[in-house]
Amino acid sequence: MIDILSGVQSTAAALDAERTRLDVIAENIANANTTHGPDGKPYQRQMVVFESALKQAMNGSQIPTLQVAGIEKDTKPFEMVYEPGNPDANSQGMVAMPNVNIHEEMADMISAERAFEANLAVVKNSRAMALQVLSIGKH
Amino acid sequence: MIDALFNQPDYLAAKKQLDAIALREDAIASNIANLETPGYKRLDVTPEFNAQLQRACADGNSQEIAGLNPQIAVDPNATAVSPDGNTVDLDNELLEMNKNSLANTMETQLITTDFYRMRMAITGNAG
Amino acid sequence: MIPISSIQPLMQSYGVTPGEGIAPSLPVTPAEQPGALAPAQPPGDSFSTMLGNMIAEVNSKQVTAANTVNNLQGGGNVSLHQAVIAMEEANVSFQLMVEVRNKLLDSYQELMRMQV
Repeated sequence: MIDILSGVQSTAAALDAERTRLDVIAENIANANTTHGPDGKPYQRQMVVFESALKQAMNGSQIPTLQVAGIEKDTKPFEMVYEPGNPDANSQGMVAMPNVNIHEEMADMISAERAFEANLAVVKNSRAMALQVLSIGKH
Repeated sequence: MIDALFNQPDYLAAKKQLDAIALREDAIASNIANLETPGYKRLDVTPEFNAQLQRACADGNSQEIAGLNPQIAVDPNATAVSPDGNTVDLDNELLEMNKNSLANTMETQLITTDFYRMRMAITGNAG
Repeated sequence: MIPISSIQPLMQSYGVTPGEGIAPSLPVTPAEQPGALAPAQPPGDSFSTMLGNMIAEVNSKQVTAANTVNNLQGGGNVSLHQAVIAMEEANVSFQLMVEVRNKLLDSYQELMRMQV
């Protein structure tokens, strides 16, 4: 297949990875207050683990590419909040809240968005440059 | 005769620049893709290439220009931007991307003008 | 002989004075350029040799262009601008050859029309 847009293999992988990250963050935020999930336990925060793999670039050199190694559950302990009226409260009146920190999630989301937009800009730029090259010799 | 036609130093220099620009595009794409990869060091065309090209152009030596070979390498002048050793600064990368794009426009226009002139000389009209 | 008008500027850069036209025994010396790849013709070398060389060079440009484009289409190690430029160079070379052929034909016909 023609490899006209050079350099976008790593970009495509990064776009994928950041999208996954944004999805996970959205799920964390949506479940920030879920004290009672399908397994009876509070929602456990999920996090995306990135890894750097080497892909072959056009001139034969290895270029590191971002990819998602997996989605793991955050093992941070649940926060215990005193709320005796809550149906999920235990015998001491403490409720286990999900280990999701909204502020952290928002900060994460902003940096994931930033990375996503930047990679999108790379693709647009590559396309514009390729179109210019294709117009060599035409006036 | 044909070979001499395409052996002018300016034309060869523009072609080499396009080679370097294409490599740079790859490097910048990789840098932005690895914006948050821990320990990633930013890549760029080696700084010696520009100096070599300038020297060869000043000499007007077509063979020297044709023999140049731009390479991608880890940027020796980049400093760590985050505690994990990542040296990619997004604002800088976006700036470099724009500069590269403009350089691409300029070189392609130079080469188009060269071809236009050759056609003029050969056929007497622009077609 | 009618000088070859549109080739004039090109020929001038190769040291051929326009107005002399092309005679079979005219020495054609490419202008001295550092690193020019075309070998300098020894004086007195025939015009047909020059034509033969030009055809060979045009052919090699066409072959290079075809190879580069095939390489690109096959996903090879070639970048887009290399393919585009190779194609343009092949086109320009071919145009040059066609123009030379046209002017030679004109000159021949002019010659044939001369009253003996």
